[in-house]
Amino acid sequence: MTQQHLDSIKEARRKGVKRTALVVGAIAFAIFLLSIYQALRVR
Amino acid sequence: MAHAATHDHHDDHHGAPKNFFVRWCMSTNHKDIGTLYLVFSLLMFFIGGSFAMVIRAELFKPGLQLVQPYFFNEMTTMHALVMIFGAVMPAFVGLGNWMIPLMIGAPDMALPRMNNLSFWILPFAFALLLSTLFLPGGGPAGGWTMYPPLSLQGDSVAYVVFAVHLMGISSIMGAINIIATILNMRAPGMDLLKMPVFVWSWLITAFLLIAVMPVLAGAVTMLLTDAYFGTSFFNAAGGGDPVLFQHIFWFFGHPEVYIMILPAFGLVSEIIPTFARKPIFGYKAMVYAIASIAFLSFIVWAHHMFAVGLPLGGEIFFMYATMLIAVPTGVKVFNWVSTMWGGSMTFETPMLFAVAFVILFTIGGFSGLMLALAPADFQYHDSYFVVAHFHYVLVTGAIFAIIGGTYYWLPKWTGHMYSEFWGKVHFWNSVIWVNVLFFPQHFLGLAGMPRRIPDYNVAFANFNMISSIGGFLFGAAQLIFLGVIVHAVWFSKKKAADRVWEGAKGLEWTVPSPAPYHTFELPPVIHDDELAHGHVED
Repeated sequence: MTQQHLDSIKEARRKGVKRTALVVGAIAFAIFLLSIYQALRVR
Repeated sequence: MAHAATHDHHDDHHGAPKNFFVRWCMSTNHKDIGTLYLVFSLLMFFIGGSFAMVIRAELFKPGLQLVQPYFFNEMTTMHALVMIFGAVMPAFVGLGNWMIPLMIGAPDMALPRMNNLSFWILPFAFALLLSTLFLPGGGPAGGWTMYPPLSLQGDSVAYVVFAVHLMGISSIMGAINIIATILNMRAPGMDLLKMPVFVWSWLITAFLLIAVMPVLAGAVTMLLTDAYFGTSFFNAAGGGDPVLFQHIFWFFGHPEVYIMILPAFGLVSEIIPTFARKPIFGYKAMVYAIASIAFLSFIVWAHHMFAVGLPLGGEIFFMYATMLIAVPTGVKVFNWVSTMWGGSMTFETPMLFAVAFVILFTIGGFSGLMLALAPADFQYHDSYFVVAHFHYVLVTGAIFAIIGGTYYWLPKWTGHMYSEFWGKVHFWNSVIWVNVLFFPQHFLGLAGMPRRIPDYNVAFANFNMISSIGGFLFGAAQLIFLGVIVHAVWFSKKKAADRVWEGAKGLEWTVPSPAPYHTFELPPVIHDDELAHGHVED
C-alpha cells in the first residue's frame, strides 16, 4: 500500500465523516423540533 | 487478514499517556473511552442494583417494613432510570467503542473528541439525577415514564429534565459517531455485508437512537415548560392532553427497548458461532431481521397504552403490528439454534451466558406476545406480569448478553484470561437466582398484584418472599462478576493468546492481546474466508 493510496483513503474518510455527521446531526435536530411542532398542532 | 498482525508492532510505538488525568479525562482513544464507558456502566449497575435491593427488601413481606411509600416510589423510578440510561445503554456504547473499530479495521472512532465529550457528559448527568434524592422535596417518584400530571408534582422536575437532556445529547453524539465510523472508516474490502453482526446491530441501533432520542428530548422539554413556563401541552385544565405525553413518550420508549436489545442480539451472534465452531447460520437473514425489528419498533408504541382508551381500530392495528415482531425475532432465535446444531460446541462462560440468553429471552418474548393481545392486556396491564416480562427481556436478555460479551472480550482487553471456574460459578448463580427472582412475578401479576406498590395483600406473600430471596442472591452473585473482572485485570497470571478462543474469527482476533493502544493505523487486508460469518454469496 503506497503512501499516496493511504493519503487518499484518509482524505476520503475525512470528507465522508464530516458529511455523515452533518446529515445525521441535522436529522436529529429536525426530529426534536418536529416533535414539539406536532404537539403544538394537537387540539 | 493475517497481514493485520504484522502491522501492530508499528502501532505500539506511541502508547498511552503516562499522566492519569490526561489519559482518562482527555482521552480520544476508542479503547480508553470504551473502558470508561464500561467502568461507568458497572458502577451504575451496582447503584441501580442497590435500589432494587431496597425494593425487594421492602416487598419481602406484606406491610410497610423499611421505607416510606414516597421513598419506595423514588427507588422504583431511580432504579429504572439508572439501569436503562446509566447501566445498559453505556455498556453497549462501551462495547461498541472498544470493538467496532477493531472489527472493521479502523484506527479509531470517526470523531474522537466528540467521543470523549459523549462520555464525560454522563457522570454529570447522573450526578444531577442522583442528587435529587438528597433534595428537601425528594427525587422523581412518578415512574421512569414520567407521566404528567404525576411527574410534575415533585420539586425535582427541572433536575430530571436537564439530566435526561444531557443523557440524550450524549446518546445522540455517540450514535452520530458510530454511524460515521461504520459508514466511513471500514478497511478497504470490508463491505457492508461482510461486517460482523455486532457491527450491523450497532449501525441499526444508532439510527434508532437518532430517530427517537430527540423525541424524548422534545417530550421532557414540554414537561419543563408545563411545569415552569405556564404552557399546557399535557394539562387538561389548560386545553392540553395528558395522553399526548404517553403517545410521545412511547414513540420514544418502544424503540428504546430495541436500542437495549439489538446490540445484545449482535453480541450473541458473535459468541455462539465462536463456541459452536461454525459460521452464523443465515447471516443475511440475521441482518435483515434486525432491520425489520427496528422498522416495526416505530409502529407499535401504543401497545403500552391499550388500557388508556384507544379507538378499537387503533387497538387492533397496534396488537397485530406488535405480534408481527415475533416473526423476525423468531428468525433470529431459529438461526442461533441452527448455528449451534451440529456444531462442535464447548461451554465456556461467554457461551453459557449466550445460551441462557437464547432460552430466557425467548421466555420474555413469549410473555411479550401475551401482553400484545389487547383483550388480555386489560388484565395484565400495570401488574407484576409486566414487571416479570420486561425483566426477562432486559436482565436475562440485555444484561446477560453484556456479561457474556464482557467475558468473551475481557482477555483481548486485559491480555489475561479470567478465572473460568469463578466465571462458571457466577453464571450458575446468576441463572438460577434470576429465575427465582423473576419467574414468580408472572404468577403475582396474573393473581392481580399491581406494580409500583410498597405494600400488598397477604395473598401475595409467599411468591414475594421467594422473589426477594432470589433478588438478594442474584445481587450477591454479581459481586462474583466484579471479583472476576478485578482478578483478570490486576492479578491473573495466565496470558491470553491473540486468538483467545479456538473458533473465533474476525479482525479483532488478529491483533495482540492486550490490544495495543493504537491498532490498524495501516488498513488490514481482508480475506473473506477469515470472516466470522464465512463467505457471503452476493
